[in-house]
Amino acid sequence: MEHRPLEHRPRQIVAFGGGGFSMEWGNTLLDDFVLGLTGVVRPRVCFLPTASGDADHYVVRYYRAFSAERCEPSHISLFRRETGVGDPRAHLLSQDLIYVGGGSLVSLLGTWRAHGLDAILREAWEAGVVLCGGSAGALCWFEHALSGFHEGPTRVIEAMGMLPWSCAVHFHEEHGRRESYLEAVTAGMPAGFGAGDSAALHFVGTELAEVVSSRPQAGAVFVSRGADGSLSERDLPVRYLGESALNELQDAALAA
Amino acid sequence: MQPEPAVPIDPRRILAMGGGGFTMPEEDRSEALDRFVLELTATAVPRICFLPTASGDPREQVTRFYERFGDWPCEPSTLSLFHLGRDRIDPVAHILAQDALYVGGGSMRNMLAIWREHGIDEAMRTAWHRGVVLAGLSAGAMCWFEGGVSMSGGRPEVVRGIGLLPGSLSVHLDGEPERLQLYEETVGSGELASGLAADDCAAAVYRGTELAECVVSRAGARVVTVAPDGCGGAVRRALPVRVLPGAAAPGGDALTASHGVSELRALRAGRQRWE
Repeated sequence: MEHRPLEHRPRQIVAFGGGGFSMEWGNTLLDDFVLGLTGVVRPRVCFLPTASGDADHYVVRYYRAFSAERCEPSHISLFRRETGVGDPRAHLLSQDLIYVGGGSLVSLLGTWRAHGLDAILREAWEAGVVLCGGSAGALCWFEHALSGFHEGPTRVIEAMGMLPWSCAVHFHEEHGRRESYLEAVTAGMPAGFGAGDSAALHFVGTELAEVVSSRPQAGAVFVSRGADGSLSERDLPVRYLGESALNELQDAALAA
Repeated sequence: MQPEPAVPIDPRRILAMGGGGFTMPEEDRSEALDRFVLELTATAVPRICFLPTASGDPREQVTRFYERFGDWPCEPSTLSLFHLGRDRIDPVAHILAQDALYVGGGSMRNMLAIWREHGIDEAMRTAWHRGVVLAGLSAGAMCWFEGGVSMSGGRPEVVRGIGLLPGSLSVHLDGEPERLQLYEETVGSGELASGLAADDCAAAVYRGTELAECVVSRAGARVVTVAPDGCGGAVRRALPVRVLPGAAAPGGDALTASHGVSELRALRAGRQRWE
């Protein structure tokens, strides 16, 4: 007899080029989007602030943004022993959404590997837990990442590799980021995505499903090298998540 | 004329504190061990860099470091591996340019994993051989040995260190019976090599790989050796200690005027006590 799982959830990752509660306080569009992807009314959400060294202020802001009214929030600190969940693996696998904060990608990867979190997160992904994050929390899912501001001089970092692409964040906003990324791909880094602030790459499986944004002008690109070695940088279509809300407001204003 | 020494002097120095110094809660925050770190450099105005990696580079520890060392004859700096872009420091070059490195407490496992990613463990070894004083407390003390007992995962567990010094170390001897118990069990079973356990405010001074002396910043603080007893258990033996100038009285707190002032400042700044 064929055995089918009760529930089949696709593998999903949302990588923010920048944005979410830590960068766009008051603009909840990207955070609302990832909560919506879980398909659950009151999703269980776990925040991993590792890349910031588990900074207290970051954890506090997370709980303000992901209040108990809209979800079941929790976080795992790998630096503060008094706030630990008993079994990180069981806790992470029981979530609907895992939200990774920004900071230092190198320090994040080192700490996760020391605790086996890289393997647990892959397991969660395959089980259909939605994974998301901004900056370092976006770069960590890719095979290769162009390091961000927190790492000092720009370099290519091997990250967890669930997504077989390369990635750069704050693509249009941070000085020199786009140029460094184009150079790195020219020099042999695999093809991939440059995501600007407020733009989020939504992957289903390992393929890009769409790019969404929390600001109308946000952008993202796909960068690859042709067979002849020539570089191609293609603007990706972006769906602004605020359009419907904006229209509703305008309709309400007209009706008044 | 002075005769040349037959053997070159070994420049390697490590100060391993069971606890103590500026990052501790106020009752264990005496200045004596922090002053002693500078003294070990034998330099008039030493360059000293603080690494709070094991606690995730919290701002509060950095503030406290400058409060303590800012007015002393030294060139203080801090190295945050979470903010290399902001600080624009080449971590390895910066480490090798110091006279002393001061490593804070926290998670030994996290700290060593992050150090490895950034190549800091190798830089520490090079610095040690060049005579840069390596000092630290708790995770920042155990890391120099082959191994120690960490509590940062909630339960006590054995964590391997960088292994510059032979043997093992356990810390906070006076305050954490669970840690001591696992330490004695693992030394007794041979999982960890013999070594030392140190109280808060007590430290072991190594010259080369030899224990040179034990110093304390509070009278009554202890350093003990822990070795297998041959029957699967461990035996403890107290080591002689030297009470540093300016040390606190036994069990008490010799608050100096300047200490009181910095406390007041901390209260005004509304900072929480560091765990």
